[in-house]
Amino acid sequence: MTAPSTASAPSAASGDGPPLLSVEDLHVSFRTDDGLVRAVRGVSFDVRPGETMAIVGESGSGKSVTNLAMMGLIPRPPGQIDAGTATFRGDDLLSMSNRRLQSIRGRHVSMIFQDPMTALNPLMTIEQQLTEITRLHLGLTRQEARRRAVEMLGLVGITSPEQRLQDYPHQFSGGMRQRVMIAMALSCEPELLIADEPTTALDVTIQAQIMELLADLQERKGTAIVLITHDLGVVAGVADRVLVMYAGRIVEKADVRTLFAHPKHPYTLGLLGSLPRFDTQGEATLTAIPGGPPDMSEPIVGCSFRPRCDYAMDVCAGDDPALTPRGDVPRDQTGGLPVVHLAACHAEVSS
Amino acid sequence: MSEEDSSPLLRVRDLKVHFPFSRGSIFNPKHGVVRAVDGVSFDIRRGETLGLVGESGCGKSTTARAIVNLVTPTSGQVEVDGEPIAGLSDQAMLPYRRRVQMVFQDPFASLNPRMTVGRIIGEPLVVHKLAKGRDRKLEVLRLMELVGLNPRFLNRYPHEFSGGQRQRIGIARALAVQPDLILCDEPVSALDVSIQAQIINLMMDLQQRLGVAYLFIAHDLAVVRHIASRVGVMYLGRIAELASAEELYAAPKHPYTEALLSAVPVPDPVVAAQRRRIVLQGEVPSPDQYYPGCAFADRCPIRIDRCTDDRPQLTDKSHSAACWVRDPISE
Repeated sequence: MTAPSTASAPSAASGDGPPLLSVEDLHVSFRTDDGLVRAVRGVSFDVRPGETMAIVGESGSGKSVTNLAMMGLIPRPPGQIDAGTATFRGDDLLSMSNRRLQSIRGRHVSMIFQDPMTALNPLMTIEQQLTEITRLHLGLTRQEARRRAVEMLGLVGITSPEQRLQDYPHQFSGGMRQRVMIAMALSCEPELLIADEPTTALDVTIQAQIMELLADLQERKGTAIVLITHDLGVVAGVADRVLVMYAGRIVEKADVRTLFAHPKHPYTLGLLGSLPRFDTQGEATLTAIPGGPPDMSEPIVGCSFRPRCDYAMDVCAGDDPALTPRGDVPRDQTGGLPVVHLAACHAEVSS
Repeated sequence: MSEEDSSPLLRVRDLKVHFPFSRGSIFNPKHGVVRAVDGVSFDIRRGETLGLVGESGCGKSTTARAIVNLVTPTSGQVEVDGEPIAGLSDQAMLPYRRRVQMVFQDPFASLNPRMTVGRIIGEPLVVHKLAKGRDRKLEVLRLMELVGLNPRFLNRYPHEFSGGQRQRIGIARALAVQPDLILCDEPVSALDVSIQAQIINLMMDLQQRLGVAYLFIAHDLAVVRHIASRVGVMYLGRIAELASAEELYAAPKHPYTEALLSAVPVPDPVVAAQRRRIVLQGEVPSPDQYYPGCAFADRCPIRIDRCTDDRPQLTDKSHSAACWVRDPISE
C-alpha cells in the first residue's frame, strides 16, 4: 500500500516472479426469485507478492462476490461457481476441500470487511477471538497466543492492549473495532489480505488512520493486499494497480497512475468525471453517467455499459468487447511499474 | 451575517439540543447530558446553499432535525423570515413546514413502501390543501418531470425504483409545496458515485430554476465543496469554522478543519503521493462530557492555556473560526 512514487514501490513492482494469487475466468451466479443472476462473468487477474491491487466498482459490479467466491464464502445454494480457477501458491482454492481451504483462510489469506461486527463475535471477548486463530493455525499455547494478541493490538494502535483483552466488541468504537479486526486478520502474518471496503463506514480522519496502518503493516510484513472499494480517492492514495469492474466483468486494468491519467474505458472516464474535487476548482457540472447499472438477472448481450455510454457504436450491441492492450505510457509516469493497460471497449477513448 | 438589512431566510441562534441519559445499573445510575448540539448559530440566505460538514456524532443531523422541530430544541432561536418558530405546536408549525422541507439520507427508509409514487409526491399537496383531484395529478406529473422521473411510473411503488430514483422521489415530494428551503441530510451518501453525481447536478439545477435554498449536510467534504456557497464545520455540537466554500477549503483557519481536509482522500495518485496528513491524537470524544473551553482543545496541536476553560466563539465575519489562536479577534 505504498504510494507509487516512494522508494518502497519496488516491492510491488517486482512483478517478474510468479503471482501469489492468480484468478482465471471466474464465473459466479446466484439463483434468485428473479431468475439467474450472473454476478461475476469471466474475471481474471493476478496479485503479486507485496502489492496493493484495488478492485473498484459500484454496487452490484461483482467486486465483493469475486473475492467471497475465491475464499469459499458464498452460500451454495443460491450461489454457484460456474467456472474458473483461483490459484494461490500453486493450489486451486475453488476445487480444494473445505478442510484444506480452512487451513489457508486466516492463516495465509485473511479478510477484513466493511462492518467489523460481521467478523467479530459479540459474545466473545477480544482475547478469546484473537487467541483462537493463532492457537488453531500456529499451534500456539494459551500464554503464547495471549502474548501475540497483546502484541497485535499494540501494533494496530490500541492503547493499553492488556486491559482491553477482556473487553467485548461493543465496548470499542467503530474505528477501534476495525483495528481489532485488522489485528485478528494479520495475527498469523498472512501473505494476502483481502480488504472489502475496510473504511467505508468510518469517518475520514479514522479512515486515514486505518489506511495508514494497513500501509505500515504491509511495508513491515510484505503482505499483499486486495482492496475492494468504491472510493477512487482511497484507491489513488494506496493502490499499485487497479481493476475496474462493471456488471460482473473487468472493464479496465492498469497501474494506478495510468488509470487516473489516461482512462481508456468510458465507464472509468465517467466515474472520474462524477467525482467532485475539493483540491481543485472543479467544473460547475459533474459529468454524471446517465442511467443506472443493468439488471443482472437479464441476459446481457453485447457490452453491458452500452446503454449509458457516449461512445456506443453499432458493434457494441452485438459484441461484448474483450480486454485488449491500450496505449503506451512512459515508465516514468507510472512510478517505474511495468505498463499493462487493458480496457474492454470497442472505441478509442481519449481523456 | 454582516449585512443586517438583507434579512436571512433562516436564522439560527445559539441552538442547543441536549439529551439527558442515565446509565449504569438501576441501583447505581449515572445521570448525564449528551450535548448533541451545543450553541449553534448561522444564517441561510434566499437561494443559497449552506453546507454543514463534520464527522459522525458532531450534531449536524440533529441541528437539521431541531430546525424543523423533529427533535425539540433545548434552547435557542430559530427564525424563518424573522418569525420565531422554535417550540411551536404541530398545528402552528404547519404553515412553516410548507416553507421548510426535508430530504433524508436513506431513500429506502424515507418513502412509505405501501404508497405509490404518485401518492407519495402528492401527499404534501393534500396535507397543505394545495391541490385536489385532476389538478393534483397534473402537479405530481409536473414534479416527476422536474426531477427527471418518467411520469409513466406514477402508479409504481418505491421498491420498484433504484436508490437514485428514490432520492428523486424524495426531492419531488419536498418540492411539492414550493418550499423556500430544503434541509438535506446526507442526500447522496447512500448512492453510488455515478448516481450521486446525477443527484447533485439535479439539485444544483433545481436551485437555479426555482431559487430554493439548501442546508446541505454531508460528511463528504468534496461533495459539499462542489454544491455549497458557504460551509460550516461542526465538531462536538458546535460550529468550529464558518466561511465561504472557497476560503474554507483554500485557507482553513481552525486546526480541526485543517486536519479534516488533510484526511480527505484525493482521487489523483500524483497529488495523493505528495500530500501530508495532519494526524490528530485520539478519536472524537464522547459528547456527554462538558467542555467549558474549546471542545477540540484535548486533541489540538496548537492549543494554549486559555483554550481549556474559555470557550471561543464565532463572529459575524465572513470567515470566522472559533479558535483563540487562529482567529483571536473572536473576543
